[in-house]
Amino acid sequence: MTKLALGDRLRHLDKSSWVWLLAIAILLFLVVNPFYRLLLVSFEHGETGAFTFANYLTAYGRSRYIDALLNSLTLGVLSALLCVVFGVPMAWALSRTDMPAKGLIWVSILGTFIIPPYLGAVGWILLAGPNAGWLNRVIVELFGVEAGPFNIYSMTGLVIVVACYSFPYVFVFTKSALDLVSSEMEDAASVLGASNLRTTLSITLPLALPAILGAFILVFLEAIALFGSPALLALPGRFHVVTTQLWQFFEHPPRVGVASAYAMPLLLITVMLYWLQRRITHRKGYVALTGKGGERRPIPLGKWKWVVLGYCLAVCTLSFFMPMTVILQAALSKAWGRGFSLDNFTLQNLYFTIFENNLTQTATLNTFLYAGSASVIAIALALCISYVVNRNLVGPRIGSVLSFLTMAPFVIPGIVLAIGFYAAYTRPPLVLYGTGWILIFAFATRFLPIAFTNSNAAIRSINPELEDAVRTLGGTRFTAIRSVVAPLLKRSLAGAFILVFIPATRELSAAIFLYSINTQVLSVLLFDKSDEGNFEMLASIGLVLVLITVALILIGFRLMGRDFMLRRSSS
Amino acid sequence: MKRRMFGRLVALVGFAATIAAAPASAQMPAWEKALYEAAKKEKEFTVYTAHYNTEEAARLCSAFETKYPGVKCNFVRTTAQVAYQRFQQDLKADKPVASLFSSTDVGHYVDLKKRGILMPYKPNNLGKMVDSLRPYNDEDGNYHVTAAALMLITYNTSLVSEKDAPKNWPDLLDPKWKKKVSIGHPAFSGYVGTWVVLMRKLYGWDYFEKLEKNEPQIGRSVNDTVTMLNSKERWVAAGPEATTLLSRDKGNPLAVIYPTDGALLMVSPSGIPKNAPSPNAAKLYLEFLLDKEAAETQVKSHSLSVIKGIAPAPGAKPLEQIKVVRPTEDELVKGIPEVKEKFRDTFGI
Repeated sequence: MTKLALGDRLRHLDKSSWVWLLAIAILLFLVVNPFYRLLLVSFEHGETGAFTFANYLTAYGRSRYIDALLNSLTLGVLSALLCVVFGVPMAWALSRTDMPAKGLIWVSILGTFIIPPYLGAVGWILLAGPNAGWLNRVIVELFGVEAGPFNIYSMTGLVIVVACYSFPYVFVFTKSALDLVSSEMEDAASVLGASNLRTTLSITLPLALPAILGAFILVFLEAIALFGSPALLALPGRFHVVTTQLWQFFEHPPRVGVASAYAMPLLLITVMLYWLQRRITHRKGYVALTGKGGERRPIPLGKWKWVVLGYCLAVCTLSFFMPMTVILQAALSKAWGRGFSLDNFTLQNLYFTIFENNLTQTATLNTFLYAGSASVIAIALALCISYVVNRNLVGPRIGSVLSFLTMAPFVIPGIVLAIGFYAAYTRPPLVLYGTGWILIFAFATRFLPIAFTNSNAAIRSINPELEDAVRTLGGTRFTAIRSVVAPLLKRSLAGAFILVFIPATRELSAAIFLYSINTQVLSVLLFDKSDEGNFEMLASIGLVLVLITVALILIGFRLMGRDFMLRRSSS
Repeated sequence: MKRRMFGRLVALVGFAATIAAAPASAQMPAWEKALYEAAKKEKEFTVYTAHYNTEEAARLCSAFETKYPGVKCNFVRTTAQVAYQRFQQDLKADKPVASLFSSTDVGHYVDLKKRGILMPYKPNNLGKMVDSLRPYNDEDGNYHVTAAALMLITYNTSLVSEKDAPKNWPDLLDPKWKKKVSIGHPAFSGYVGTWVVLMRKLYGWDYFEKLEKNEPQIGRSVNDTVTMLNSKERWVAAGPEATTLLSRDKGNPLAVIYPTDGALLMVSPSGIPKNAPSPNAAKLYLEFLLDKEAAETQVKSHSLSVIKGIAPAPGAKPLEQIKVVRPTEDELVKGIPEVKEKFRDTFGI
């Protein structure tokens, strides 16, 4: 019956429909096929391939494994909440107020986002390690207490580190939503006598709620899918999370079936969150960008602006300034164990990384090539799908399925996603293993949800009336998209590009199973270094990665005719 | 006239080339020459290795390329478990990449041999191998030891004086090291797995029950201990000799202790898979690893030489003067999975 209805619908679509059909086909290739394999494997006996439930029994048969699941949930919820606490006030300050030093804050957030989480975690070990962490030593010196209060090897420590390197998602999502809220709506409240605070809380922030919720979910999923930081912090802290537990299922002999079974609850959680988000946001209309003018004025904060700036700086100090100082020190040291001193200073590590090490050069090129291609693919696809879904081109039920499929990859830890890709694309008809494409597609799939959440929020905020106007005047849907939707989306797209490009440059867990000798990327090199105890080299490769990414992004914005704060040149 | 000059020039160049190439090929025995010629036809090969760090792997490859011009050496350096995972992936996908597989986990080879995946080959350079390492080769020629290193006690010299440093393995259990010991995890590291089996063999599981009371810092790889000592997060560790001394060479305040009850000898084999894309180049590289140039390269990185007559790096003790211990292959193949599970029960991770 659905088929008939779909066929009917397809007949009545205009000529542009092949684009949507293509998008759906790509989704089948990137998401459905690998997931189908994963599901299949979870019911397969490891050697015989016969149908079995044994994998599920093994995966949930020990209290240790269940504890890891619960730990991941705790980690996800707490760090997502902390991300909101960090990100939303900063987004509001940068978007709506006259706070000074906005450029500095923005660049610090960008820098934070570019630091791979495992590199940040290494920095934090040096800062808040229970015995030798600088912060602890300072406190011991100042107050003469026996031991410092901070222990990074704990759930609290892990939550803080994860939040530090994920809050930029919340920031960017919230900020792009706030940028669209017109001051007229706030004025309406002010006219009625509401204070600035009350206006912000009851008008401005609720209008950004879908974006904040989307980001909350994204950050929650990111937190439970991370491997690097938990491996560095949770294991010494003597607890497991899902990803470190998954790693054990890949020990010799690898139990892919058990790992797949163990990953299933994560999928269920995604379904639930997705449903919850729809429940909350669908009850209200959130069309804020009407195309009917609307002016945006910064709210004068008076002397409070210094308080707000102080808060922003405090967060950036935690996430960017302090860890980067430590990493810079290591990258420029002969031996980082000797601390700060002039005779310990060297440029040799950086020189070697940039000019002498062929591996780093190839890997750098690959990293940015793959990340760039993956971002373009992910954003193009996400836009098509969110457009199809929001404009009801395929009907609500298929629409839900499509958006769910687009969101699903994020929750699958990179390792498991890589195994799905591996299972699907190492056999004919499509053999991608050993080529750069398998990495590009895996990265595109992994970050498709980010692109989707972002483009979904953007498209939802554009009133369909704008396109209807074009179509009433005889324009096709393409004309409407080209001359109305695309220009309006440009700014959100720039944001979406950063949000996909940056995580793709630092993606580790999928890369480590799919790379091959000619397709090395920097994250894998970094991971190898952390494993080799060669921290001076690790820090310099990390530094190079951060610097090149910052440079590329700044150049990109110049070329797009915007400054790095995403301000439009004409407004 | 012109033509004649050109002819002379060609002859001259040809002569010069012969002279340049002469020493290398002149010294080559017939088997080596044959292998080299066959390898040149294959042009390049790839080795999956967990034996060294990236720098050392790169140095070995370029030393090989200098000795045998025209054969390109590629390497993928990663941890033992990841290398094995990739190797299995290639095998299943029937897209072989590695012509030589070098893991630190002996269990991998026992498994591969049982499944008939490796190609038996008897290296011509086998006679050069240090006698004490020869028992660790496969008697059927499926795999041979190509790297050896030690795991021992390491410490940060700015925190611990040589006098106070632990002298043997049980010294790490002393309550004075509470919250000051660093170790790796047997589920991540082949070195640590072997070490845990050895400690259980020497002192029983009781060793780890007591160690747990000292609240050691548990990293993943054995090399994580180097990071922990450098950061002064921990003072003493059960760590690797090579990485620790390399880090010390850079100026980090580290030192090693050869435990009186024996440093753990790590022997790491290499094997050629039957489906190797470049089997001849792989054989040639295996021979190279059992020869002087490779040994000298490895010694510089503080690994042990697997062949006789190579002087150790300055400041390192020669193998003959060190008491080394190692569990048997059977003990390891059976013991490593057991101790991984027990380790998790005791330490909770």
